[in-house]
Amino acid sequence: MPKKYLYSIQLILKSLGALVAVALVFLPLDAYATQLHASSEGIITHQMGHLFFLFSMVALIFTITGKRLDKQKGWRFIQYSAFFFILWNLDAIAAHFFDNQIYAVKIEKLSLGQIRVVSQSELLAWLYYVLKLDHLLCVPAMLFFYGGLSNLVDEQRQMMAKKDIP
Amino acid sequence: MIISFIPILVVDVLGSVAMVVIALLCLYKARILRSMDPDNAVFLYLLWISTGFMIFALSRSFGHILKQFLILTLNGATWHAITSYSGSVNTVSFMLVGLITLFFNQSWNINEKILSGRIKLEDTHIKLIDLNQTLEHKVVARTEMLTSSEHKARRIFEQSLDTIVVTDAGFKVSEINQAGVTLTGYQRKEMLGKKMGLKDFMSQETEWEKICGLLETHEYILNEETDFLRPDRNLVRVLITGGVDYGAFGCGKTFHFIIKNINDKRQMEQQIAQADKLAALGELSAGVAHEINNPLGIILGYTQLMLKETSGFEEDLKIIEKHVKNCKTVVSDLLSFSRKGSLEKSWVDVTTVIDGVIKFLANHTDFRNVDIQTGPAPQDPLMIYGNGQELAQVIINLIINACHAVGKKGKIEIETKQTQNNLVIITVKDNGTGIRKKHFSRIFDPFFTTKPVGQGTGLGLSVGYGIIRRHGGDITVRNRKEKGAAFTITLPFAPQKK
Repeated sequence: MPKKYLYSIQLILKSLGALVAVALVFLPLDAYATQLHASSEGIITHQMGHLFFLFSMVALIFTITGKRLDKQKGWRFIQYSAFFFILWNLDAIAAHFFDNQIYAVKIEKLSLGQIRVVSQSELLAWLYYVLKLDHLLCVPAMLFFYGGLSNLVDEQRQMMAKKDIP
Repeated sequence: MIISFIPILVVDVLGSVAMVVIALLCLYKARILRSMDPDNAVFLYLLWISTGFMIFALSRSFGHILKQFLILTLNGATWHAITSYSGSVNTVSFMLVGLITLFFNQSWNINEKILSGRIKLEDTHIKLIDLNQTLEHKVVARTEMLTSSEHKARRIFEQSLDTIVVTDAGFKVSEINQAGVTLTGYQRKEMLGKKMGLKDFMSQETEWEKICGLLETHEYILNEETDFLRPDRNLVRVLITGGVDYGAFGCGKTFHFIIKNINDKRQMEQQIAQADKLAALGELSAGVAHEINNPLGIILGYTQLMLKETSGFEEDLKIIEKHVKNCKTVVSDLLSFSRKGSLEKSWVDVTTVIDGVIKFLANHTDFRNVDIQTGPAPQDPLMIYGNGQELAQVIINLIINACHAVGKKGKIEIETKQTQNNLVIITVKDNGTGIRKKHFSRIFDPFFTTKPVGQGTGLGLSVGYGIIRRHGGDITVRNRKEKGAAFTITLPFAPQKK
């Protein structure tokens, strides 16, 4: 059989598979044979995801140090990035814990510019308000990552320039 | 607690936009890194993680901006409906980033291995290039050596004064140098075209069979003497050395021969042996002549005294006197041969001597029918320092011998010339019967003659030889190609001092 026919058949099969997958995700039916999941699983999974992300960033920091890469500016920046992502994960975990897990904090929209942070403790309300500003952690994390990559590009260019010198 | 929503809103929206922009820039930088070294596994890892951050930033920012937009536009219910999907995508995206991040160590190790492999490969490559260059240099050097060696061998082969012959296993000539062409008298094309072998150069087949036998037994021959027969029927004495070559690189078996022309050397040896023999004979003759000369003088004296008185034996005494005188002539000739006689020397013009001899012989009855010719007279007189009478005697002897060889109606040519190396050459040629090969070695011996008994004493040529040697010259004989013999006298030229 010619190859082009094989490719066509493969493409059709792949498309069908993708359609089935989409249907399963967006058009769920009762599947009595499988275990039922409570809605609280979502936040727990999300929190575990944050923990996993946090753990991977910790691992990255130690790996970079273990390989003595922190002497290079690029990798050192990536370490800073990982550190800020750790902070961001802690921030997010804490925020989700308060509003989605123990429901200790709740926000009510009063007007376009004002909100009410409902909490039994004003300190917790203030803490939650600060925790909601998490972009102040993840944006620097991304900036450090960009800085790290930029420095690695520069180092690589210098290395290649040295190699080119006869 | 009532508080302003603006800080949260601004940080959320601007932070989301910033996240997307920075993630895009990160992806751009990672792609640059990747393009710089596509084989670097760490750079590939950074590209993956940048892609992960891009997905994370997009999903998160999209969710946050949409959330703020829907809340601000009082569509909280809509946000509530899609918040689960947004959160899930966000969860998956940062878990993906986390997952990729965990592969950093593996990526680094893989990259280390790749780099190590690359370094080893580069080292090997450098070594290989070095080896290749060394090999190339060696090949060039060996080729130059080979070319030089081949050139030397070729020059030795071509320029050698000895004959070098290469034959195939059947002794057919496959290569021969110029000296070989000169020696054998055959052209190279003729030898190769007619597939001539060494056997074809031999004068006698038995000689070739002997050489073949030695080659088969020992696979070499060393200094074997034999005669080559040239196309002009002349014999050349040669010395052959040769051996077998089993060849290399698939070449067949061949024989290599070096052939030395020893004709001149052998002739020279014969002449030296002849001279030594004649010198010994001269010594012997001188001794004998001296011992006989005195008794003969006494016998002759007493005989002549007895003849002065009448005794009745006059006839007998005259016979004794006659034979004693003959004996004294022989003794005198012997003394001339042995160089024991006195010699008065002066400057002599050879041409004048020869003219005198021819005039003297012209009156003799035996020479009247013989055509005696002389070559063109030289412009300058051919002077030698010696004894004219003795020189005349030598020439008379040669002409008498020639006359006997040509018979009654023959032709005798006498040529004289001066060579560039100050030698006077006198050649006496006849068109007679020539000299037998076996007589060449004895022709100058005293008492050797081919004439019938009583017609010659056999002392003429030996006396002539003695005289010429005493003059510092030489006398040789050869058979002419046409017919007859030729005697050549060589004397040192001595211009008269003025």
